[in-house]
Amino acid sequence: MNLTLPRFFWSEYRKRRKKASLITFALFWGTLSILLLMAFGQGMSTQFQVSFKGLGETLIMISGGQTSLTYEGLPKGRAIRVYRDDVAYLRERIPEILRIVPESYNGWPVSVGGKELNRNVHGTTADFAVLRSQIARMGGRFLNDDDNALGRKVAFIGWKVAQDLFGVSDPVGQHVIINRIPFTVVGVLQKKIQDSMYQGPDADQIYVPFTSFLMIDNQPYVDRIHIQPKTGDESLLIEERAKVLLGRKYRFDPKDRYALGIWNTIEDSKEGLAVFRGIEIFLGVVGALTLLIGAVGVTNLMYAVAKERTKEIGIKLAIGARRRVIVQQFLLETVFIFAKGTFWGFITAFNIVSLIRLAPINYDSFGIEAYLLRPEISFQIFVAYMIILGALVFLSGIFPAWRASRLNPIESLRYE
Amino acid sequence: MIELQSIKKVYTMGSQSLEALRGVTLKVEQGEFISIMGPSGSGKSTLMNIIGCLDTPSAGNYILDGDKVAGLSFDQLAAVRNRKIGFVFQNFNLLPYATSWENVELPLLFDGKSARRRRERVVELLNAVGLYDWRSHRPSELSGGQQQRIALARALANDPPILLADEPTGNLDSKSGEEIMDILTKLWKEGRTIVMVTHNDHISARSQRIIRLFDGLVV
Repeated sequence: MNLTLPRFFWSEYRKRRKKASLITFALFWGTLSILLLMAFGQGMSTQFQVSFKGLGETLIMISGGQTSLTYEGLPKGRAIRVYRDDVAYLRERIPEILRIVPESYNGWPVSVGGKELNRNVHGTTADFAVLRSQIARMGGRFLNDDDNALGRKVAFIGWKVAQDLFGVSDPVGQHVIINRIPFTVVGVLQKKIQDSMYQGPDADQIYVPFTSFLMIDNQPYVDRIHIQPKTGDESLLIEERAKVLLGRKYRFDPKDRYALGIWNTIEDSKEGLAVFRGIEIFLGVVGALTLLIGAVGVTNLMYAVAKERTKEIGIKLAIGARRRVIVQQFLLETVFIFAKGTFWGFITAFNIVSLIRLAPINYDSFGIEAYLLRPEISFQIFVAYMIILGALVFLSGIFPAWRASRLNPIESLRYE
Repeated sequence: MIELQSIKKVYTMGSQSLEALRGVTLKVEQGEFISIMGPSGSGKSTLMNIIGCLDTPSAGNYILDGDKVAGLSFDQLAAVRNRKIGFVFQNFNLLPYATSWENVELPLLFDGKSARRRRERVVELLNAVGLYDWRSHRPSELSGGQQQRIALARALANDPPILLADEPTGNLDSKSGEEIMDILTKLWKEGRTIVMVTHNDHISARSQRIIRLFDGLVV
């Protein structure tokens, strides 16, 4: 391959580097700002969704309530409770249910080596982990079916409970005294972002097998029944059927909004998703406008620089350069400037995003920084940006050169 | 060497058309040194550009070195300019960001000469115009006379048989002008065909033959 011309193009480019640096910088800055803007938007949207899922994914929670309508001669204002056998009752009658677990809780003193606190202790079953995003830290586990079947005295504790009771030492395998009964800790909840809760954040809770809980507190009713539908679309259906079934059983009007406490996170998350979609569309529009402004600036610069070189093109044509050589030179220079500017823009944006992501999030007092400190670079956006800006830059960089190379050399020479 | 037959050149700007050349017939033999003179607007530069294949005539025949120029493509014309014609312009037309060496090397590069041959030729040419020591300077660091000598070296790069000079001394002081004329005279004596446009009677006196243009016609 004959490298004479590419070498010549390179040496010419190096001479004009200072003049090209403004364009390179504009490309760098445009790439950096668009990528950062989109990265923060994307990160915010993701964090919103993550925190939303902190409570649990596709979850319907049913708890007792108080009737607000009279029903079959019964007065309003009656307390309604859900009971242990309602779990099996609902599971048998609603085939759309994938998982269903009971949960009861009570506040008790818990202590380790003389350090005593009051915490909520919950009795539940193994599937609770799936429904309520209870992921154990390395080295531990959540409650399992055997724990329940055998009524084991084991406990799964929130990370703040672990901190408060055990300090820095690993609680797994150690004892915690709950209401004067020793339990063995089998797992600690991994830190998570949680923006919705009942009875406080999961970090402050203690979970024990449902059967073990009943040995301490033999309440006949349960505080909550958690249901996961087979598909998210069936959540409203399940909600309605649970109201009808339990209404028939406990004699309340299924249309009574206060007879049961129902928290349907699937319906909530649909609203949430609409908000995220709105944020994404807004950022997309902002990004597109920024891209447009950047592209106008860069193409304008490219066009001016290429135009300014008309005379140079004329000189080269006059001493025997072929048209192809002229266009090739501009093409290579444009490719190089474009690649250089966008490359450094990308690298800088990537590093800034990576650095920001290193910042710790305070899981204990979850605030705005949790949304801002987790930006994400979107490669799809980067590719789309490269294609659109690339096309504009190439047209604006090469078109004037192509046109000048088609003029009579004498006309290009006269250009001042 | 150069044969022009009834050459016409019409410039059209909107509805206005201007006849810069109105049928110029001219013959320049090999090894001749001619001057083209005439008042401003008489068509000297237009004629020069057509002879130099920088512009094409609207009508008439131009035969260069036995070949008809009319049928040549843009790139073929570029090759003719590269190998057969050397240009010297009034305002030098050097690339401002390139060094003397690079400016002289350019026509060799466009002709696809090897690095070694380019190097040898550039050294030879820079020595011939006495500016070898100035090889790393840019045009802005050279005097007008030096710039024109670099332009001359560039024009001679591919050893063209024809040298076209458009007011070569127009932007120079008299001493530098004399130096350039000395070089041109020397080149002519070595056998090159030289066509020069000038306003200056003193300069044109150096040539063998003077062609006077008036209103686009030879008088």
